[in-house]
Amino acid sequence: MSDRIDLLQGTLDLLILQVLQWGPEHGHGIGQAIRMRSQEALQVEHGSLYPALHRLEKRGWLASEWKISEANRRARYYKLTAAGRRQLLEEQSRWKQLVRAVARTMKPVKE
Amino acid sequence: MVPDGDLEDELEGHLAIEVRQLIEGGMSREAAELEARRRLGNRALILEDTRAVRRGGSGGRLWQDVRYAARVLRRGRGFTVAAVLSLALGIAAATSVFSIYDTIFLRSLPYRYSARIMWVGVHFGKMGAEFLPSPDYVAWRRDNQAFEQLAASQANGGGVSVLGGGDPAEVHAVRVSANFLEAFGAAPLTGRTFRTEDELPSAPRVVLLSYRFWRDHFQRRRDVIGSTIPLDGTPHQVIGVLPESFVFPMDVPVDALTALPVAPNASHRDRSMSTWAIFGRLRPTVTVAQARADVQRLYAASAADLPQLFKNNPPVVQPLRDHRAGNVHALLYTLMAAAACLLAIACANVANLLLARWSARARELAVRAAIGASRGRLARQLLTEVGMLVAAATLLAMVLVNLALRGFVHFAGAELPRLGEVTTDPRVFGIAVLVASVTALLFGGLPVLRAGRVDLHAVLQQAGRGSVGAGHGLLRRTLVAVEIGLSVVLLCGAALLFQTLWHMQYEPLGFQADHVLTVSVPWPGRSVDPAARTKVAEDVVTTLRRMPGTEAASLTECGPLSGGAASLNFTRSDRPLPEPYQQTDSIGLCGVDPDFFRASGMRLLRGRFFSDDDVNYRGLRVVVNDAAARAYFAGEDPIGKQILGGRAGAWKTVVGVVADVKNQGLNRPPAPEAFVNNPSETSTAGLMIVMRTMAQPSMISRALQDDLRASHPGFLSRVETVEETIGKLSAGPRFNMVLVTTFAALAFLMAVIGVYGVLAFSVTQRRAEIGIRMALGASPRAVLGLVLREGAVLVAAGVIAGVGGALVLTRYLASLLYGVRATDPATYLAVVAVLAAAAGVASFIPARRASSVDPLDALRHE
Repeated sequence: MSDRIDLLQGTLDLLILQVLQWGPEHGHGIGQAIRMRSQEALQVEHGSLYPALHRLEKRGWLASEWKISEANRRARYYKLTAAGRRQLLEEQSRWKQLVRAVARTMKPVKE
Repeated sequence: MVPDGDLEDELEGHLAIEVRQLIEGGMSREAAELEARRRLGNRALILEDTRAVRRGGSGGRLWQDVRYAARVLRRGRGFTVAAVLSLALGIAAATSVFSIYDTIFLRSLPYRYSARIMWVGVHFGKMGAEFLPSPDYVAWRRDNQAFEQLAASQANGGGVSVLGGGDPAEVHAVRVSANFLEAFGAAPLTGRTFRTEDELPSAPRVVLLSYRFWRDHFQRRRDVIGSTIPLDGTPHQVIGVLPESFVFPMDVPVDALTALPVAPNASHRDRSMSTWAIFGRLRPTVTVAQARADVQRLYAASAADLPQLFKNNPPVVQPLRDHRAGNVHALLYTLMAAAACLLAIACANVANLLLARWSARARELAVRAAIGASRGRLARQLLTEVGMLVAAATLLAMVLVNLALRGFVHFAGAELPRLGEVTTDPRVFGIAVLVASVTALLFGGLPVLRAGRVDLHAVLQQAGRGSVGAGHGLLRRTLVAVEIGLSVVLLCGAALLFQTLWHMQYEPLGFQADHVLTVSVPWPGRSVDPAARTKVAEDVVTTLRRMPGTEAASLTECGPLSGGAASLNFTRSDRPLPEPYQQTDSIGLCGVDPDFFRASGMRLLRGRFFSDDDVNYRGLRVVVNDAAARAYFAGEDPIGKQILGGRAGAWKTVVGVVADVKNQGLNRPPAPEAFVNNPSETSTAGLMIVMRTMAQPSMISRALQDDLRASHPGFLSRVETVEETIGKLSAGPRFNMVLVTTFAALAFLMAVIGVYGVLAFSVTQRRAEIGIRMALGASPRAVLGLVLREGAVLVAAGVIAGVGGALVLTRYLASLLYGVRATDPATYLAVVAVLAAAAGVASFIPARRASSVDPLDALRHE
């Protein structure tokens, strides 16, 4: 898997919020969703995922509740809070700015 | 906060989903479980990182430390209580004492120009007073260049005035120059201040009321301003009210200010001069040194005009703050030293407790270091514990200071000036807390420093066998010896002050004080003419003599404990007269009725008291006290000699000598005094009667007041027992004694606890050794002796150091002592004996425990 990309600092939060805008999901599901939607390009370490989830919950952007998962076991499901939704919009626009800025610098300079 | 179990559940859930997906992908359950775990990665690390997020980084570790420390401190309850209490007491004692003395004596008075207010005057060494004669004030005020304002007031405050009307009241009125308020930068709350023309002797009389007097007697009525009140029989116009915040610069009671008559043409050749206290406000650019030079110039002019008066009496210019503080230096230093001693003992005690505690915990620390705790981690842990101790002690100290200050205001508020304003001094509190913290950190941190050097193996093997604390042992012993030494110093100081007070209060006064009352009737002003005064005097004396229970009542010019109404140069007819203004041998003079000696209960040594026959020789017979006889008739018989004549009037014949009474206050030797058989009711500020009666003072007071109201309205009377007079005179010394004794008691307690602590700890540590000794045949008696000897060495070292220190330090106490020398051997012996006895008891308890050690039990515990 040589085409795996290391996550940029801070982008994990954006990805988590992005995934959760479609509805509640547990930690495993979130990791899988990121992997699949990036077509295996982004691999999320569980060692970063769980601390990130708890950090976001502590900041009030996520809420969690226990439900029974597809494995017939208790699992913690995370969902966006109103504050989380606002944060997502903000992070999206900041990301777009970043992408545009990076793209501009990459463009060959016109004569 | 999410419980940790919750987090593990979450990861279990994660694994379950992973496993299920892998099985669905065709793996066997076992392989799937393995693969799921592999994919999850380091589970413990995830748990730890996530927990760290939940707790919020290193703050979480601090909280952990705090919780652990709280648990440790709760477990060692005895240690915690002792340490917190010691620290709190030390901090509180130092802070409250300093706060009180700062408020009363040191704090700059609340004036706009505090820093520039100077105390100005001439130091008259022989009289022990600083003041300025009125003509010089007039000249200095006119000619000085250093001061914006040079203000004057009556030197010792005013006497008692009488506010006339239906219900006469006492008023403490002080005369001040017109620029007095202006000099201090104060302004009246309402109304106006004095004008220069108010100083003229012919000006209409005006008065400024103190806020308190206005509130209590006029219910804050605004219409009082401009109205006229009878003060000492003279109508005074009220021109204003002083603000509540105004504090008179001398410690005298002040209800009202009246204008000081300042004659612009006063000179040294006037028949009489007044003596005034002078306060000057420096010009903003003038330094104290420049002001001194300026005053020196003015002083030279004054001295050139009347050299006899100023010879050997230098001028004084001093910031007012220093002047006020200077009056109490010895006292202040004593109490500060006592408070510092107590704080030092408290710190030593805490250091000791900490050392003992860490020695006992050496094993715990070693184990924690062995399983991977870093030195920094252990240090943080220990310092957190120490920090919590100090924090708790600081809180407790705040409460104690608050209580102490309230208590002082409650019990001594009436006796000491400005005590009502007392507040905790934050600087001192800060310093005390700092000292305590540094001590605690130093000794709390010591084991951390050692922890790095300690051979873990040795500690773990030997912990509990007594060799671990050996290094601390010497330090702890030294600390306890220091504590004992300091408490010896404090106890000696307290014992000396206690004896001083005892001497003051119970030393024979020279007369039979019980049943003696002083009745005074202040004149309501100069308007009462001599004939009326004589009439009132006769009526009052007759009334008092007629009252049931009265044995004798005599008009007098001075109370039994005051040294004469006037002070003159001693003269005798068979010696040349001294030059005028020459300060020679002085003697107090007091005019009395023949009944005076019976009323006051003075003892006759030689000759006779006045007889009825002396009525025909009014003012020509005199009885001197023993001090006068010893001083001026050494080796002669004073009876029949002619004294106190010449310029002072006709010569008077000595008819008797009476035993000395304490006429200079309770803590000074009696001064020469003469009683002449002629109380003058016209010359003094009021009437004074000394009476001996079996009746209740309150009854006499009421009966006399009723009588006065009926026969002489506008007059008021005061009745005071000799006990009350003594109480007033000894209030200050009693206050000192109570403070120092409280300190000494606390110090004593801490030192004894210290001795007990060291020995008890030592016995616990040496249990095994003692067990072996006993197993090998040592008798319980020998073991008892072993421990007691250990205590005795400790106490002896402390006591020797303490006695040495006390001998040096109590010398500074000498000026506060009376009736006992600072090196009184009996006092020292008693202190040493008491301390040794208490320390003996304190060491006996652990010694007993040591001697009852069961050897088998002690050895089995290894």
